[in-house]
Amino acid sequence: MKSWHLDRRTFLLGSGVSMALPYLEAMGEQAVAADLPARMCAMYFPFGISLPKEGSDLHKWRWFPDGEGKEFTFNESLKSLESVRKSVTVIGGMSHPNGRRMGGHDTGDTFLTGALFDKKLLHNTVSVDQVAANAIGSQTRFSSLTMSTDGGVGEPTRSSTLSYDDKGRPVPALNQPEMIFNRMFGSADADLQRNHRRLRSASSMLDLVLEDSNSLRRRLGRRDQEKLDEYLSSVRQIEQRVKNTQKWLDIPLPSLTDEERDVLKLDADTEAPKEYMRTMYDLMWLAFKTDSTRVATYQIASMADASSVAGPFPFREGFKANLHSLAHGWNKPEGAVALGEWDKFMVEQLTYFLARLQATQEGDGTLLDRTMVLYGSSNSTTHNNSNYPLVFAGGNKLGLRHNQYLRVSNDVPMSNLFVTMLNKMGVNTPSFNDSTGELLGVQV
Amino acid sequence: MKNLKIIMPIVVCLMLICISVAQAKKPGGNKKFKSSVLPILQAKCFVCHGEDVQEADVRLDNLSTDFLADRGAATAWHEAMHVLNKGEMPPEDGEPLTSKERSILVHWIRGEIDRVKAELKSTGGRVVLRRLNREEYQNTMRDLFDLEMDYARDLPREGASPDGFKNNGQSLQMTAIQLEYYLDAARRALDRVIVTGDAPEVFEHTFEKSNVGDKWFNYEVSNYLGRWQGFYGKMVDTYPEEGDYLVTVTAHADIPKDRGAPLMEVSVGYRPDTEQIWKVTETIEITKPESTTYEFTGRVENHPLPVRGQGKFPGLVVRVLNQYDDGAGKPKEVQLDRDGKKKKGYPAEDGYPVIHIEKVTFKGPVFDQWPPKRHREILFESDMRQFDEQGYVALVLERFLKRAFRRPATKDEIQRFVDFYLSIRADFPSFEEAMKETLAMALISPPFLYLVEPAQDKKRDLSDWELASRLSYFLWSTMPDQALLDLAESGQLTRPTVLAEQVQRMLQDDRGWRFYQQFTDQWLKLENTAQIAIDTGTYQGFQADLKEEMLQETRHFLRHLILNDLSALNMLDADFTMLNERLARHYGVEGVIGNAYRQVAMTEEIRGGLLGQSSVLMLGSTGKDSHPIRRAVWLRDRLLNDPPAPPPPDVPDLDETNPDFAKLTIREQLEVHRNKESCASCHRGIDPWGIALENFDAIGLFRTEVHEKPVVAIDTLPNGTELDGVVSLKKYLVENRSEDFARAFVSRLAVYALGRNLELSDEDLIDDLTKEFTRDDYHIMALIQNLVASDAFLTK
Repeated sequence: MKSWHLDRRTFLLGSGVSMALPYLEAMGEQAVAADLPARMCAMYFPFGISLPKEGSDLHKWRWFPDGEGKEFTFNESLKSLESVRKSVTVIGGMSHPNGRRMGGHDTGDTFLTGALFDKKLLHNTVSVDQVAANAIGSQTRFSSLTMSTDGGVGEPTRSSTLSYDDKGRPVPALNQPEMIFNRMFGSADADLQRNHRRLRSASSMLDLVLEDSNSLRRRLGRRDQEKLDEYLSSVRQIEQRVKNTQKWLDIPLPSLTDEERDVLKLDADTEAPKEYMRTMYDLMWLAFKTDSTRVATYQIASMADASSVAGPFPFREGFKANLHSLAHGWNKPEGAVALGEWDKFMVEQLTYFLARLQATQEGDGTLLDRTMVLYGSSNSTTHNNSNYPLVFAGGNKLGLRHNQYLRVSNDVPMSNLFVTMLNKMGVNTPSFNDSTGELLGVQV
Repeated sequence: MKNLKIIMPIVVCLMLICISVAQAKKPGGNKKFKSSVLPILQAKCFVCHGEDVQEADVRLDNLSTDFLADRGAATAWHEAMHVLNKGEMPPEDGEPLTSKERSILVHWIRGEIDRVKAELKSTGGRVVLRRLNREEYQNTMRDLFDLEMDYARDLPREGASPDGFKNNGQSLQMTAIQLEYYLDAARRALDRVIVTGDAPEVFEHTFEKSNVGDKWFNYEVSNYLGRWQGFYGKMVDTYPEEGDYLVTVTAHADIPKDRGAPLMEVSVGYRPDTEQIWKVTETIEITKPESTTYEFTGRVENHPLPVRGQGKFPGLVVRVLNQYDDGAGKPKEVQLDRDGKKKKGYPAEDGYPVIHIEKVTFKGPVFDQWPPKRHREILFESDMRQFDEQGYVALVLERFLKRAFRRPATKDEIQRFVDFYLSIRADFPSFEEAMKETLAMALISPPFLYLVEPAQDKKRDLSDWELASRLSYFLWSTMPDQALLDLAESGQLTRPTVLAEQVQRMLQDDRGWRFYQQFTDQWLKLENTAQIAIDTGTYQGFQADLKEEMLQETRHFLRHLILNDLSALNMLDADFTMLNERLARHYGVEGVIGNAYRQVAMTEEIRGGLLGQSSVLMLGSTGKDSHPIRRAVWLRDRLLNDPPAPPPPDVPDLDETNPDFAKLTIREQLEVHRNKESCASCHRGIDPWGIALENFDAIGLFRTEVHEKPVVAIDTLPNGTELDGVVSLKKYLVENRSEDFARAFVSRLAVYALGRNLELSDEDLIDDLTKEFTRDDYHIMALIQNLVASDAFLTK
């Protein structure tokens, strides 16, 4: 298996990625230390964590740390974070107030939006990453990177994406490492000449299609018009993207180093969850490192357990249940241990990612120093929409304070954290959804 | 609180006045609210949330009950339901609610919310501009170009509509990324279909013996193909990387009577290193013992291709295997004498089916002439191209658009495409390249991607062209074929006899399989079985690919009922099922030999009907054990169209901390469940349906013990009927619920046929169809014919 990876990778990189220009030259003054970019990413998992009774035999499998503030110790599940402790805040007691009014399995879609689903009849609102992407996205080749294990959008309340555009429409997630790589580094089509031509013809093609569809629209009834509007807005978005891409075409693609190439396992698939998750993390790391984008989301698993590709992840890693069943064991004697082991496994993958960011030097610090990483779930224990388990890491040089277990009361909405994140991204935002201010506890 | 009680009588009086005012505002009033809900609110809630006192700023007495008109009120009621569910209200020192009162309040609020949701989603009983779904897009592109390719490769997976179907116009969304992929797929396809330059070099290889090492992993290399033996032909440098290929295999066979025919699998692939990657071209059953030449075709680029100049084992390989498998496992390896050399290998096994390879050839790319037929279908040969390029382009577009849009394109449309061609022509190096872009534009246009049926707010009859498409996407999940288009062109398709004939033809045609597969899988939610990981610790030797065979049984079952005019009630109970050898072995049924599915009589009463099929039973499992609740919900939802309400968001957890709980059987756990008041009211109506199926394990096999205790499959429905096991459940369904099942089946079929949700205005349609269906002995073919002849299907 091993060397097959190598062949494949060499092939991919050999055929298309431009390696003519070193990174610094290509990106021009953007790489000057003075204005190093801020970045953010968010990861999500469903159904919550292990939380046996305090002081019981199973205490060490409690996901949340013991203690509070600066004085805290990790339990088993988060232990791997010790190595990056100085860049980590564990947040306890926080949730989306709207989420607390929704079904126990319905909050996956609103993790990054904070919307109330029922009131708006399954219409979501914009997610925090897309607010950032809309504001600063044009500064990079890609405004954002949206990934999930299932890919696509899924269905409302069981969506397979964390990101929602400014209309509250789901942003389809990418799920195949090779495809993600190709989108970012463009090795799919080697014929640059032809790409240029096709880009130009796409421009006028889209104009024409738009014109035609507008005349079709007039002949349709109201419901059909609404449906066609989805199409029209998609065409307009591509037009915009085509324009952006045309601009970027003149700037060579970032070249990859041997080290970067070596970590990538682009044929990783969901049959081997650990390798797959690490590859997804690697892609994010690479996207940030090459400044291909500054905003990323990755839904590790969705609430659609029975029909989700990630549902059987624990099975494939040798556990005896799928995600949902595993999560149901949070307060049962054996269940709490099994779920705790799973939590630990998941956090180890996160630590892998954080360590990777920390090991990458950038300007006067590391990549992690300017990358905010949010990791968590919208259930504390299964069906319970409060007290989200949250790890908030990185961004020390963006003015964030870490090395703490920050416990907040129920009336601090998670949107406050989003306001802080957006402001650290340089997106000046007084509020986000139901926020009541910033989250001061993570600020220097 | 104390002084509150004193003033209560006054409050209640005042409040009654308020209520009457509030109610008067609402048109029509609401009998149910007045007779059952209001009295409870008055007695238990208004004291603290009325006119005088508004604890927590909540006032209910003047809150509108018109959820549709007053969204703020709807939100407040929703919040009220939430606190009732959690048991937070009334507070401990307040007047408690009985569980019946609580349930009346909660059900009323839930019902109103659902009503508003339905109202807002209503499409007025008309199908909404419907995009081709993934499956339909793949089939349509394939048929349009007559080219095998993974067109839908990059398209995101689609979510199902609330009814579980994937062809619902309202649910199918369009996004920018998706549209980009449509353009990409169109360009990829056209790059293969439209060729430029001279004919490519054709490679031809003949293998009389395998030309690779002696053993490739588990398979022993040989011309004698018993079990675990394979024939390999490797082409190191001289092979094509694109185009159609032809593989021929000349072979004779040993076909023992009691074991059946060998299975010949031809694949093309390569060996990068310690792995091999293959894509199967086709697998066929060899039924003739004498020497025969078999042909296999495919596209080279659809197979895994080695990278030239790299890899430890360079070259593209054709592989022929005998995939016959009687489940006996691998034979023991022994020392063998092969061509005078001692080698380890698998022995010849007496009595097993064997393929004797005489010769294997590979040829590619193959084409009748250059440019190939596919190319000439679009860019047809004509002198016009030389002296009137613009006229030629218009003609090419006229022909192509008629197929792509599934109707003749207007003069205006054609002109716009010609104009586009002219505007980009100069930028492209060749006529063909510019044409590809022009054709690609058609494939991202709404008339291709959507079933466009322009209509204003008044319903109108479909045109013949539109009908051809509806019919074709309903029964074939693809574009209409030439016969349908011809009927549309001559205006005959709307004639009732023609329409009925076409339904019959389409369901008998090979493409009809798409209906049997798509409808069966979506209706019964069989797709979800893919995500159930069968626990191989519990079910040792279970092979994951058996799942697909399980699904095949159910699809073949529906097909058999339709094509043989058998009653749909066979789905509830039958004395036969559809099996092939492998699945028969799974069930322990003897005497079924060969790969093909056929009708097999069932001697045991437990098996016949959907409820005895392992696809359905596996779906209602955790992969390790049965999941009675999942089975029950599935049965009520899918077979009776009576889904139980989803669990309320705030149901308290069972006290599962008790270590003894885990040791209980599922049946016993459910009993604990039902002893809990907040669970019981719903679960009484759910559990018995699943309990009755407890004799089936997660892979649909019969059992009499679970957790070393005897299976208890007895339970009582809320109406007092006792169900004891699957046989009694099936009897009850056939005798008492046939009509409900018929109506449920009709409804679900209609949803799939129409590509939209049913609404109140469809009641008559469903009534009529169901009546006809039951009167006509539940014949599905006739039902489908009636359905496509209905107003709902024939109008937009």
